[in-house]
Amino acid sequence: MAVQERQEAITQLVVFQLGPELYGADIAVVREVCPLQRVTRVPRTPAYVEGVTNLRGRVIPVVDLRRRLGLPAGPATPSTRIAVAELDGEQVGMIVDAVLEVARVPEKAIEPSGSLVHGVDRQYVRGVAHVHDRLVILLDLAQVLRNAQRKVV
Amino acid sequence: MGNGDFDLSEEDIKVFLDEAEEQLQVMETGFLALEKEGADPEQLQAIFRAAHTLKGSSATLGHQKMTVVTHALENVLDKLRKGKLAVTTTLVDTLFACLDVLGTYRDEIATGQDSGVDPAEILARLAALDSGETGENASARDDAADQGARPAGQGAAFPWQSLEPAEKARVQEALAMGLQPVACRIQFDQDSAMPSVRAYQALLVLADHGEVVRSWPSQQEVEADQVTDHLDVLLLTSDSPAEIRTGLAQVPEIEVAWIGPAKGLGAEASQGADAEREPEERRAPEPAREEASSGNGGGGRNGRYGRTVRVDVDLLDNLMNLVGELVIDRTRLYQVLTRLEAERAGDEVTQVMSSALAHISRMTSALQDEIQRARMLPLENLFRKFPRMVRDLAQKLGKDLQLIIRGEETELDRSVIEEISDPLMHLLRNAVDHGIEPPEERVRKGKARTGTILLEASHEENHIIIVIEDDGRGIDPEQVRAAAVRKGLLSEEAARRMPDSEVINLIWSPGFSTTDKVSDVSGRGVGLDVVQKNIEKLNGSVEIRTQVDKGTRFRVKLPLTLAIIRALQVSLEGTIYCIPLNSVVEIDRIPVSDIQTVRQREVFVKRGQVIPLLRLAEVFDVQRPEGYEEPEELYVVIVSVMGRQAGIVVDDLIGEGDVVIKPLGKFIGDVPGIAGATIMGDGDVAIILDIPGLLESLPADQTHSETAWVS
Repeated sequence: MAVQERQEAITQLVVFQLGPELYGADIAVVREVCPLQRVTRVPRTPAYVEGVTNLRGRVIPVVDLRRRLGLPAGPATPSTRIAVAELDGEQVGMIVDAVLEVARVPEKAIEPSGSLVHGVDRQYVRGVAHVHDRLVILLDLAQVLRNAQRKVV
Repeated sequence: MGNGDFDLSEEDIKVFLDEAEEQLQVMETGFLALEKEGADPEQLQAIFRAAHTLKGSSATLGHQKMTVVTHALENVLDKLRKGKLAVTTTLVDTLFACLDVLGTYRDEIATGQDSGVDPAEILARLAALDSGETGENASARDDAADQGARPAGQGAAFPWQSLEPAEKARVQEALAMGLQPVACRIQFDQDSAMPSVRAYQALLVLADHGEVVRSWPSQQEVEADQVTDHLDVLLLTSDSPAEIRTGLAQVPEIEVAWIGPAKGLGAEASQGADAEREPEERRAPEPAREEASSGNGGGGRNGRYGRTVRVDVDLLDNLMNLVGELVIDRTRLYQVLTRLEAERAGDEVTQVMSSALAHISRMTSALQDEIQRARMLPLENLFRKFPRMVRDLAQKLGKDLQLIIRGEETELDRSVIEEISDPLMHLLRNAVDHGIEPPEERVRKGKARTGTILLEASHEENHIIIVIEDDGRGIDPEQVRAAAVRKGLLSEEAARRMPDSEVINLIWSPGFSTTDKVSDVSGRGVGLDVVQKNIEKLNGSVEIRTQVDKGTRFRVKLPLTLAIIRALQVSLEGTIYCIPLNSVVEIDRIPVSDIQTVRQREVFVKRGQVIPLLRLAEVFDVQRPEGYEEPEELYVVIVSVMGRQAGIVVDDLIGEGDVVIKPLGKFIGDVPGIAGATIMGDGDVAIILDIPGLLESLPADQTHSETAWVS
């Protein structure tokens, strides 16, 4: 532990897949990952709101992260997961195509996204990082999920 | 053994605190009733019993100050009970003051910290009351006087004196071995069909905890069905009273009226701690004996407390989470079952698994429901602290008023109850302080001298409504305008143009207060803005209606969060929706050919009334599969809210049941027509409809009964 502290500023990322791209989110925000389970559609909500689901007795909203980020929709596969984020005590599930790993990335290795990211609204992106030679787009979940709230309410 | 007698476990203290809370509550309710309705013998008996019980248990605990004060209180109550004292304001005030002191002492026990409150002052006040009675010196009375309260023909004390020499020797031996003699009185429920069986069961349990030296009635008598309404037992044990109590909890139809160290067995001499309490001990030789008398008249007590246990909320939360896990696993098992059934249909293993799973499923749902219910508390728990507060405040401010409380049985999730306490308290204070006029002013205005404050809770659709209404002076929009201008909230011009209804709402502005004098009641800078903010934090809202000289009405609307409602479950394209049953008028099946079109809207006529149809599939924009054909008959759920009716068209009816409303979460926020969601027995989430919200989407003229132009 002491060694890590000296190196300081290591970000642990949950790396997941949306379409062909890899995305990452701060592990502190991602509470858990669970298999895709039944989601009940909530009428009169934006298309990216997939609905609500039962997470151990709690009703939590589920977002289709692809739609939320403006990416083309894709079919559910056996590897589809719900990544549950927790912000301000509120849990929100995000449907992702697959969850790959938890990667440790030095804060220094995170670069501003610049023009590298296509298709995803820049305000949702914190930066990009290389993990095993692949580009991971770091999402700012607070932004992704907060903006959604504002638009709906 | 030294202080062994007071070697109390945390559990003992907890039990004491819980009991003390109950007794203090009984007393408070009683005192309020005493003041309002005068001396009612039954009420007085209840108060007396409470004081008595508290005295006993505080003595057991060794909290001498509490014992002394309760004893003095008991003397006063006893005289009241016997009609030797009259109910006066001074008396009631003293009783309340006494209650406060006792509350402080209870806190001392809870925190283990000395409050520094000297009992001398309250003792003097009680003594002054006590001596108001002519002649007799109260402290000279002994407990024999209590005999009057006991049913005739029953010994009040534990009958130690009838111990056989061999039994006494056994007790001494046990003491030497470090065992405690514990006395226990078990009261049978009055309606118990077989008290002797219960007595036998209780004896068995007690034997598990130690050695039963003797019981009254004896085991032989019990076996011969010779029992009265109680059983006294002398037990030698190393277990704590709390442990024994827990053990006895498994025996139905009984209540442990008292349990604790048995004294009066010649053991005190070896227990120094008792000697310290000598003066008190002389009057009250054993808590056991004291308590015994309170147990006797305890029919009402049994009824009220006998069937409940206290549970830590954390425990309920944990249980809830555990059940949640079960629900998930159940869903998983179902998935396995589906695969099994596909692969090896008809197989015996599959069938067994199927039926076992169905059972687990039902059990899990039932478990979930019950735990959720257990989290609900009636508002009574909150409301009951208000009468005292309002009374004290009214007296302080010289107001003459009555507080009417209604709907205290309305249930709300515990967490909401905790959060709503302060805002309600504030609104009530406002009503007393600013609302109700002084009596003379009321009389001058031709109003009843006594003002009235109404505190009422009720269910409304998917919310709890709490109304606080007074018949006081109301809020004058002119004064609000003036104050707003003075405080720079509005320009004079703007204030003049603003309609009265909007002006009134200025009272919610931060820093707004119409009274200039700072009373120590409600003018301490905490304004209504804070009240509003706190209520909104709970996703609630508060509205005000006021009329000068008629009164003010605050209407607090709160979401239920976890509240349970009865709902009709309907389905639409395979998804289940819940319709709160309280807005459902009837369910009908109508042929499509009965549907008429009026002003481009579908309606049907029912008993001469035109009822607009609301096709849920359209309202919610539900995708129908290709080739969907409308059935010839439609299921219509006729709902009514505030005189507006509509028929909601659904695919199918599933049934009705209790559902627990859960919010959709901040991320989704408020959706018109949707009140929340609920978790169904199979773990799926169903959407709960908000009928008023849905009806709002209909043009108003369509939803009123329009009988006129039909016929």
